[in-house]
Amino acid sequence: MSEETSPQRVAIGISFGNSYSSIAFTTGDGKAEVIANEEGDRQIPTILSYVSGEEFHGTQAKAQLVRNPRNTVAYFRDFLGKDFKSIDPTPAHQSAHPKEHEDSIAFSIKDSEEDVENERTISEITTRHLRRLKNSASDYLGKTVNAAVITVPTNFTDSQKEALTKAAKEAEIEVLQFINEPVSAVLAYDARPEAKVSDKIVLVADIGGTRSDVAVIASRGGMYSILATAHDYEVAGAQLDQVLIDHFAKEFIKKHKTDPRENDRSLAKLKLESEAVKKALSIGQSANFSVESLADGIDFTATVNRTRFELLANKHIASLTRLITHAVEKAELDVLDVNEIILAGGSSHVPKIARSVQSAFPEGTTVLAPATSPASINPSELAARGAAIQASLIQEFETEDIEQSTHAMVTLAPHISKAIGVLCISESTEHGVFRPLIEAETPVPVRRTAQIATPREGGDVLIKICEGIREIKVEKPEAKPKENGKKDGDDEDEDDSDIDSDEEPEEIRSKVWKAGTALAEAALKGVKKGAKVEVQINVGADLSVQVVAREVGGKGGIRGNIEKPAVTQNGSA
Amino acid sequence: PVLPAGWAADKDFKATGTLSAPTPRNVEPVGPHFLAHARRKRHQRTFSEDDRI
Repeated sequence: MSEETSPQRVAIGISFGNSYSSIAFTTGDGKAEVIANEEGDRQIPTILSYVSGEEFHGTQAKAQLVRNPRNTVAYFRDFLGKDFKSIDPTPAHQSAHPKEHEDSIAFSIKDSEEDVENERTISEITTRHLRRLKNSASDYLGKTVNAAVITVPTNFTDSQKEALTKAAKEAEIEVLQFINEPVSAVLAYDARPEAKVSDKIVLVADIGGTRSDVAVIASRGGMYSILATAHDYEVAGAQLDQVLIDHFAKEFIKKHKTDPRENDRSLAKLKLESEAVKKALSIGQSANFSVESLADGIDFTATVNRTRFELLANKHIASLTRLITHAVEKAELDVLDVNEIILAGGSSHVPKIARSVQSAFPEGTTVLAPATSPASINPSELAARGAAIQASLIQEFETEDIEQSTHAMVTLAPHISKAIGVLCISESTEHGVFRPLIEAETPVPVRRTAQIATPREGGDVLIKICEGIREIKVEKPEAKPKENGKKDGDDEDEDDSDIDSDEEPEEIRSKVWKAGTALAEAALKGVKKGAKVEVQINVGADLSVQVVAREVGGKGGIRGNIEKPAVTQNGSA
Repeated sequence: PVLPAGWAADKDFKATGTLSAPTPRNVEPVGPHFLAHARRKRHQRTFSEDDRI
């Protein structure tokens, strides 16, 4: 920890989303806090609106979607750095429409006092949005913010990042680093003081407004590697809103014979109120829907309870769960391999989503969402918090240092493909119980230490180091055992749990370890009765392995090296 | 496991195999542990050297 401060950098974390953005900073004692803007919002709608030359931002701009949709720009994050042909303008249908502008995208809006339409490029719009975020943060902190770590989706291209860097620079924000949204969420959890860094497989499901992203991440001693990602633009918060829009529209038609969805302004009102109802249903069991002059000048009020909403949204929630299990398959893992699920994004507040995900995974899997875990962090704040923590870690670095540490380094880490561990109980490879010390997908170099029990009677002990292969054992009398491949998995020796699958409802699947290639044997002589043996395995960057074994509390011990692959020979101390 | 009779090796250690081929992957450049890793890698230090500093 160096104390040198480079030219007064004030860095924050920014989560820049299509629907909402958040800003966060890190307090003196290292805790990340999300900043509320002047209106008191922590989730700031990514919307800009202009009324006779005056700029509105966030919630105020969102309200303008009803009266002033054509001068309101919304859902533009994913348009940045793209050419017109490759974008899907659907989310922006109810606001200013994106237009082709040279090789990028622009909006025609009346943003000056004169009644003329101005072409504003997507980059200009982004700059204005970031400037407002920056100003809110600066006001709160009492210092001018000039740097930030910004979160981006995992499939954000380099040209999108470049465009965002440029737009941020225009807003006088130095982008210290782009970090992936799911990784930011994991960091937000791992940075809590009570969190223990361990080796685990974490799945992050970021369910946003216009898109849902899932990432499977191997967390190894606080280092994160993304194993697989999945994206979906069909099911997200907007579809859940649509369910309520349709529900209320039908109720309205029943009473008044007009469809409020056919009128733009009515639809905009319906949409805003439906989103509010959805949010209320995440907290309470029922919510009121109430819009003044919804259509034909008729006021409309109605109530809906959570059960009804869940029933209506069932189809969408099921496809979200499918998206998540699909990502696990894509990572060539089994649901049993996943230790923790982090639900992020605004729609993760919906209790049914968390419960649906929980039921798709074994009981031992922690689902971190407000509905399923009291220890969970607000899903809307995860990305911004992670970014703030990262910002506080690197804000003292030189720009060059950040570049060097984030580029060449990253790609250069080989990950162990099979778990390495100690074979306990029996000396024969076939009957031994494998205990993993280093999990598969751990980047090298790595060092792990564990204590293992010795035979009760003590005496001379053989320590056998080998690779382990994770298999899924399916126990079910009549069903034919289906093997989900011999993937190298990880964690916990055995984890029996029931899985509800449609065709074989009672099968019991469990994770078992099979010993693979034996790597080394070591003998410890004269171990005391009941003593424990400490084994430390060091894997070098070149994949050579160093093993140290000694009796706990004892002196000496043995050490030996296993050469890197290709050459095998006896090691020496 | 109990040491089988007649087991012997140079300095009581016998290497019998090597690791399987690793998978090249990207580590996410995020978090304090990565930064420590990057520091070690750039200065080519080992874990124990790093511990001492």
